[in-house]
Amino acid sequence: MIGVGDFKANDCNGLSRRSFLKTAAAVPFAMGAGLPSLLDVQAAQERGRAKSVILLWLWGGPSHIDTFDPKPDAPMDYRGPFGTIPTKIPGVHFTEMLPRLAQRNDKFSLIRSMVTTDGGHPGAGTIGVTGFKESPTVHPNFGSIIAKHRGNSGALPPFFYLGRGIPRDLPRRIEGYGGGTLGKAYDPFLVSCSQHGDVNIPTLKMLDGITPNRIQDRKKLLDQLDAAHRTLDGARIDDWEKTHQAAYGLLTDPKAKDAFDLTREKEKTRESYGQTAFGQSCLLARRLAQVGVPYIQVNWSEYVETFTPNGDWGWDTHIYNFELLQDRHCPILDRAFSALLDDLYDRGMMEDTLVVAMGEFGRTPKISKRAAREHHQHCYFSIWAGAGVQPGRTIGESDARAERPLTEPISPLMAGTTIAELCGVGAQQRAEMKVLDGGSVINELL
Amino acid sequence: MVALGMILPFLHDFALAEPKRLTEDGILKRDPYFVDGGKGLIYGYDEQDDLVRVLRLDLETGKSEPFVPDVGDKHHIEPKLSPDGRFMSVTECTGNLTAKLVIRNLEERKDVYITHSGRGGTRSPVFTPDSKRVVYAFAETGPQQLWSVQIDGKEKKQLTQCEGVSNWPSFTPDGKRIVFSNSRENNYEIYSMSADGTDEKRLTENTIMDIRPVVSPDGSQIAFTSTRDGGYNVYVMKIDGTNVRALTAGLDRDDYPAWHPDGRHVVIVSEKGGRFDLYLHEVPPGAVNPDGKPLADTGS
Repeated sequence: MIGVGDFKANDCNGLSRRSFLKTAAAVPFAMGAGLPSLLDVQAAQERGRAKSVILLWLWGGPSHIDTFDPKPDAPMDYRGPFGTIPTKIPGVHFTEMLPRLAQRNDKFSLIRSMVTTDGGHPGAGTIGVTGFKESPTVHPNFGSIIAKHRGNSGALPPFFYLGRGIPRDLPRRIEGYGGGTLGKAYDPFLVSCSQHGDVNIPTLKMLDGITPNRIQDRKKLLDQLDAAHRTLDGARIDDWEKTHQAAYGLLTDPKAKDAFDLTREKEKTRESYGQTAFGQSCLLARRLAQVGVPYIQVNWSEYVETFTPNGDWGWDTHIYNFELLQDRHCPILDRAFSALLDDLYDRGMMEDTLVVAMGEFGRTPKISKRAAREHHQHCYFSIWAGAGVQPGRTIGESDARAERPLTEPISPLMAGTTIAELCGVGAQQRAEMKVLDGGSVINELL
Repeated sequence: MVALGMILPFLHDFALAEPKRLTEDGILKRDPYFVDGGKGLIYGYDEQDDLVRVLRLDLETGKSEPFVPDVGDKHHIEPKLSPDGRFMSVTECTGNLTAKLVIRNLEERKDVYITHSGRGGTRSPVFTPDSKRVVYAFAETGPQQLWSVQIDGKEKKQLTQCEGVSNWPSFTPDGKRIVFSNSRENNYEIYSMSADGTDEKRLTENTIMDIRPVVSPDGSQIAFTSTRDGGYNVYVMKIDGTNVRALTAGLDRDDYPAWHPDGRHVVIVSEKGGRFDLYLHEVPPGAVNPDGKPLADTGS
């Protein structure tokens, strides 16, 4: 482990080139009162290569200490029941429930010093995907920023949510799900994907029986859409027009329609992701990235609640933390995320596809009296791969009990700024859009 | 002893070492348990994204149907039937982040809910061999312990008082000993103790998990899940922890072992090609690997 700038970063080769560049560039910056160095110009040119972003949104607050930041030497009431296994990177261990990802961490970088400022789901969720608190102003989702910057790619909307619905807990949904100050035009387009790979577009629910795979006839679809339109009153027509246009474009454009058809994938590819809604959604995300969709957020679940009536197994493991991680969450994540990485690498898409996996916070390292873990905003993880992110690094370090970072904390605002930067939304564009104000790039990733 | 080949016509080749696939849908499954002398199998099944319910697989027809009707939106996991067939135990999701042990009198259709204070959830209920009590895991005020309660919900008592997480109790057929897992040694290991919680013996020793131990019907062996070879795999060992044999291998997940009443087969939830189904494995009578080659005792 070496200290570089604000963060500790290591990789299998010691000091990285980018870390060296940052260290070297620090001197002229200090002396030149902000004049960009040649090295920084080069660095800026290397950024902006992400054509697509796939955010795996691990909604509910995954336990960092039970997954990617284990502490086997911590006291028993902290460390939990899981053994640890070595990874591809010497000295870095994951828990035993992530064997596939442990063999692939030379393909991604791990941040162990994420910190947020809200301990509740909707609040932290909004911070996690916008960089800012929910009030007084709801800032735009990172995906909305990229959507505005890139615009539509043919018939396909620029910002997709893949999942059952807008992330929420039982009382309410998060505020920062969409366009925020940029407007509703930059809200995500919601598409769900079942464990069988069946794709559904909830905005078309008024058209019974319409799914992407069933649209065979353009005229028939137009007739159905017009019939639905006639049933609306005036107040709903504007909303309908927007939905209509987007959905119509999706369902009639051959490229778009094809992207939703997972049956076009080889059976072996579909199997590799696992027959789970999350697994098949990850595959759909790859297909959308393949046709140029700029931002795809794959939501692990709609609800944070994990063992609750109507709850769809979020990561909010106030009960059954150890059982659910072991029985369900980690095996599903391990398989789907690994398959996604392999698939992107095999297709040569990793060069221009950024993959990020994170939740809104971690979980209390001290085990609760119910043998589970509560919310913990003071330390959690995120995972980064592709589009110029240097793989194999472990950035940041938590204390002996995984309670607080020992290194400079990394915030969701920094995560969003880094995503934007890698998508070509530089400081100038961010200022013009009035987004991500005050954010800085996580240089240790680059 | 049940003659498996006579009641399972579609399992005509059960004697072969190759596992027999019992389901085909590939949906996420858990907690299989043989019922009706091995004629049926109950298990947890992801019916929807937000609902796990218990199905019963009829091994004569190969068809699965809901075992507990009218569950509404309540998850049901870890079902068991009492040895006398009169009672069912199941963990039921009764509210937000709350799960209770339900003991159902199947004849009188009466439910007894085992309650503890506050939120939380019971785990891994199992009937005593005399069908008079249910042992389960619960964290009341700290480390998760094993508890015991009468089938009428009375005389609830804590059986263990140890550090770490205790879970997955399983009785020897004579009811004298309980095999279970505990994490006090930094990961889950398998232990055996007297039914009153005394005379504990450690049966496994390694640096990764050994979980879900299930004692065979004749009390001579224990099937369990372990990650000792990388992925989740199922193993069998003698009741004293020696002579460990792997029933499965590889990174694809194999989990939730349950003994058939004949004592010669174990059903496992296996993820093959990303699809979860039930597979019936023959347990080799001696120390051999799944490929049929002799296996030296790997220790525990």
